Amino acid sequence: MSEREEGAVTGGHASPADGGAEGPGVDAPLVEAPADAVAGEVVLRLTDVVKTFPGVRALDGVQLEVRAGEVHCLLGQNGAGKSTLIKVLSGVHRPDSGQVEWRGQPVTFPNPQAAMRAGIATIYQELDLVEDLSVAENAFLGHEPRRFGFVRRGHMARRTRQILGRLGHAEIPPNRMVRSLPAAGKQVVSMARALSHEARLIIMDEPSAVLAHDEVGNLFRIIRELTAQGIAVIYISHRLEEIREIGDRVTVLKDGRTTAANLPARDTPTRDLVSRMTGRTIEYVFPERAAAAEPAGADLLEVRGLTRSGEFADVSLRVRAGEIVGIAGLVGSGRSELLETIYGARRAEAGTVRMGGRVLRPGSVGAAVRAGMGMAPEERKSQALLLGEPIYRNVTLATFARYARAGFTDAGRERAEADRIADSLELRPRDVRRPVRTLSGGNQQKVVVGRWLLGDTKLLLLDEPTRGVDVGARAELYQVIRSLAEQGVGVLLVSSEVPEVLGLADRVLVMREGRVVREAPAGELDENTVLDLVMAGSLMEGAAA
Amino acid sequence: MSEVTETPAAERAAKLPAQSPPVDPAETAAAGHAATGRLSWWRGDGGEGARRNLGLIGVLVALIVIGIVTRPDLYGDSSWVWSNFLTILKLASVVGVVTVGMTFVIIGGGIDLSVGAIVALAGVWATTVATQSYGAGGMIFCALTVGLGVGLVNGLLISYGRLVPFIATLAMLVAARGLAAEISNKQTQVSDNNTINSIASTNLLGIPLLVYILAAVVIAGWVLLNRTTFGRRTVAVGGNPEAARLAGINVKRHTLLLYALSGLCCGIAAIMLTAQATSAQAAMANLYELDAIAAAIIGGTLLSGGRGTIIGSLLGVIIFSTITNLFAINGLSTEAQNMVKGGIIVAAVLVQQVHFRSLTQFLSRNRLTTT
Amino acid sequence: MTQHSRDLSRRRLLFGGAAVGAGVLLAGCTSNESQEPTTAQTKGADAAAGGNAAPGERVTIGFSAPAADHGWIAAITNNAKAQAAAYSDVEFKTVEAGADAAAQRAALSTLLSQKPDVIVLLPHDGKELNAFGLEAMQAGVPVVNLDRAFPDAKAYRLQIKGDNYGMGVAAATYIAEQLKAKGVSNPVIGEIAGIDSLELTQERSKGFADTLAQHGLKVANRRAAEFTADSGQQAATGLLQALPKIDAIWNHDDDQGIGVLAAINQANRKEFFMVGGAGSKKAMEDIQADNTVLKATVTYSPSMASSAISLARLIAQGKGMSDLVELQVPKEIILASETITKENVSNYLKLGF
Repeated sequence: MSEREEGAVTGGHASPADGGAEGPGVDAPLVEAPADAVAGEVVLRLTDVVKTFPGVRALDGVQLEVRAGEVHCLLGQNGAGKSTLIKVLSGVHRPDSGQVEWRGQPVTFPNPQAAMRAGIATIYQELDLVEDLSVAENAFLGHEPRRFGFVRRGHMARRTRQILGRLGHAEIPPNRMVRSLPAAGKQVVSMARALSHEARLIIMDEPSAVLAHDEVGNLFRIIRELTAQGIAVIYISHRLEEIREIGDRVTVLKDGRTTAANLPARDTPTRDLVSRMTGRTIEYVFPERAAAAEPAGADLLEVRGLTRSGEFADVSLRVRAGEIVGIAGLVGSGRSELLETIYGARRAEAGTVRMGGRVLRPGSVGAAVRAGMGMAPEERKSQALLLGEPIYRNVTLATFARYARAGFTDAGRERAEADRIADSLELRPRDVRRPVRTLSGGNQQKVVVGRWLLGDTKLLLLDEPTRGVDVGARAELYQVIRSLAEQGVGVLLVSSEVPEVLGLADRVLVMREGRVVREAPAGELDENTVLDLVMAGSLMEGAAA
Repeated sequence: MSEVTETPAAERAAKLPAQSPPVDPAETAAAGHAATGRLSWWRGDGGEGARRNLGLIGVLVALIVIGIVTRPDLYGDSSWVWSNFLTILKLASVVGVVTVGMTFVIIGGGIDLSVGAIVALAGVWATTVATQSYGAGGMIFCALTVGLGVGLVNGLLISYGRLVPFIATLAMLVAARGLAAEISNKQTQVSDNNTINSIASTNLLGIPLLVYILAAVVIAGWVLLNRTTFGRRTVAVGGNPEAARLAGINVKRHTLLLYALSGLCCGIAAIMLTAQATSAQAAMANLYELDAIAAAIIGGTLLSGGRGTIIGSLLGVIIFSTITNLFAINGLSTEAQNMVKGGIIVAAVLVQQVHFRSLTQFLSRNRLTTT
Repeated sequence: MTQHSRDLSRRRLLFGGAAVGAGVLLAGCTSNESQEPTTAQTKGADAAAGGNAAPGERVTIGFSAPAADHGWIAAITNNAKAQAAAYSDVEFKTVEAGADAAAQRAALSTLLSQKPDVIVLLPHDGKELNAFGLEAMQAGVPVVNLDRAFPDAKAYRLQIKGDNYGMGVAAATYIAEQLKAKGVSNPVIGEIAGIDSLELTQERSKGFADTLAQHGLKVANRRAAEFTADSGQQAATGLLQALPKIDAIWNHDDDQGIGVLAAINQANRKEFFMVGGAGSKKAMEDIQADNTVLKATVTYSPSMASSAISLARLIAQGKGMSDLVELQVPKEIILASETITKENVSNYLKLGF
């Protein structure tokens, strides 16, 4: 079942128009989905869409076919062209060549408003809502029902209520300020806006990323209601299990090309999908643990009774050299706060942090760094990177002073060191003088981790290291983390994804509501056990913060 | 075999916005890395700054051409042209020194509204009868120490007192002018020290000492920003203070030092200005803060911090003093001059927003559609 | 305590010590003690010839002038204080006028509520404080307007001011005479004005231009400064650059003239002569020494403040000026702008501020 000739295009770049006449590098007969998959009429058809930006072919021959009433999933690594494709569909960019057919007519949308009017609505990851306007005002933003130049508020509220009802969320009051809604509620408002435009195609860019676990189910319920009404949905997500659950057909992009079109979402083996995305088959993701199950290293980090009221209380833990300790817990369980407090970015109210037996000055990142700690924080862009600065300067951000002589920096040495790191982490693109903002999420994360490989870091604190990182890059990151541990570095890892913690860590701490509720070697725990521990008695409202 | 792609997202996993492919035109354009062949020559570390500075030099050339067209009689005399060039540099020297300090503060994510007031306070303090009795050395020491001291107070209020820079330095503006008025008893204090006064009249190898001082401060500033750990910290602290802090940089201490540096530059400027005017008074260096901020901004320094060049700021100051000079030699009023200055600021910022490449793209696209 | 933190604390101690030392040293440097005290321009009670100076009914004089940012304003306040102190029957109440007209209005309302017998006032802006003049006059408190006129004649009892237009006339007249005496044909005349937006600057420039025109002359280039020495220096530098050869310059204000003279020295120019304005002590000394290009200055004397206090006292006491026939003080007094040259400077030195 691994070679589906009719639905997939293998080989990525290496297929210059071998199958047909029209498509650059793509087999022509793409639309060969099993006849029973979707019955609706084709609403959107993209043929050989190309979009170039100076120096980059962002879209290099994209084929896409979306039918009414289906959930069409778009898969691809970061940089595969998904974002550009969305922007082409929503009128932000105009394609250089190729054809976009919308409900049987070739179209080009000169601006997002035109796409909106035509019935294509896009729900971006960062919801573009005005926080200080009401739900109804947001839903009808830009096309408020008017009479004599006055907004018909009552009418608008009624129609908003109707739409919310269609979405199964009649409980949201139309006059509520959007600011006061939880993330899931905001997403519903975004969809209400799409419906207020009578959208026939809704593009959702990683909609589940901002949602809690139980809210995802609700999102899926809404999507099913939409498709039942004949609305087509393009669904983008990194999470295969979601695609399996909600998707009808899958189109895979790689390097700006369609490498597989209209695969059945439920039946296509994961290995196939991954290989279409990455161009290689992933043998295994988590690297093997070192043969010796219990690391023999000495205690590196010792935390005792660490407390910050409202965040976590009386946390004690230790990390030995060469050991990976994972912390599992929900957002709001205090795990990120704990990590930041150990690092000195927050000041502990009680308790001590020792590195190599010496107590660290509380609330001092400098002291932690001098003692050999390094941290890759949760929010890469806002907490870790100087986006406009070159890669090498980001890599040496914590160490440039060491290469300096009498206060004068040594750019050559810094670049050389950064090059070394870039090589060992397989950074792409390799040119360390490029601004870090041009890198994909996974490569940005490599830069942040690489920063701490330069100094004599003994303990690495990783907060959600694979967030927003695609599958291929994840595997590489896991490899990097494991090999660091093998070199004797201690790692303290926080992740929302339980399998990641279980697969990567040697020892696991489970946190709930600011307390460690279980500590065990990773081998003694399984996913369900951890999930039970994490969820038990936790208040979802508290977690929704 | 455990595959991460198979794992259910067990709980909420608010993913970071991950969709930032390396192809977004705004991003690549903002980074200034044009990959098109004909623009590739300014790729590299300082590419964008260099491009900006070329634009500023273009403005300067345009101003000089206007001067030549409007006063061909003056520009016909080569010795006048040379002396006029030096006059423009002298005119730029005091604000130029202040602007170097200001550029550091702005790149570091702050703003210093008190620079004019610090110049006045340092100048007044250095020209009291008591200070003058210590001679030129005493006066210079006094001005530098006062500038540095006031800058340190600014820095302490902002970094450890957690005041917003705008508020803290606005308060300092008012307070320092007040203290200067108190010390000077609202009088113009004449400097009787010939050594100090000669700073403004001495020429070395035909070039005024003031210009050497400006050059020295600019070069020191350039080296400090581009070649030292101090400069790297400045960019880091201004570009992303949280990232800097989590990388182990002492953001508070560095912020403090930035304001102290600005204050020190004001102290140097105070001596230069006192020497030029052979006197000091509480109202002197009026609105220098605005001149310095404006010069830094048209020089390409990002008001939100993290980016800026010393050379750009210097060019900004020189453009302003060239405009002043242009209006003087044409006998035009100060009001018109201020309007033109305002226009230049707006134009410079607008030009910076319209990226050169998107402009050429726009042009070529229009050409395509019209033919 | 680790070695590192001990080093750190030692460094802090050293640094702190140095800072305190510098602070102490600097604090000593704020003194202007040994500066010659500026002698206020007063007319002592003993020196008065007539009976007006004899102690009379006890009166309270309220006084307000803008916070001085300039030697001339400072001299106004000093003179008013000193003159009031010379009378045993005057109680002098001064209120800070703050930074602008609004602040001054607020300060004056407070003053008015204390019911002084008369108010002497140098407004930030005559037009903006006209309403206050009316209010005070209606409340029965006579108002003496110093220098910046109220547009409404009912808003003041007495107006005493300098002659801005006359300053321009005097400066132009002197320059025209000198140039004629030297026999310069087609002379190049420069002008360095004060703050351009002020009416007084415009009047001065108009008087200057009008009078030059009568002599068939005109201003070749005019730069505006801000009444400060550093702005004067910059304006003058620009003027000198624009005019490679100059015959005469009029600079509106002697305070900014310090900078103007500095610029002239720095440019090494001496082919012209300069006339100043206002009549500062420094300018007079320069004229007397005759070693700079400054050969004359036209007065706009802050001594008017002293006169205003004397007249305010008379108004409050219901007396007239003893040398005049009238029983009351006149309503308007405009001081003539006098031209001070090397010949007569010794007479004026005591009036320099």
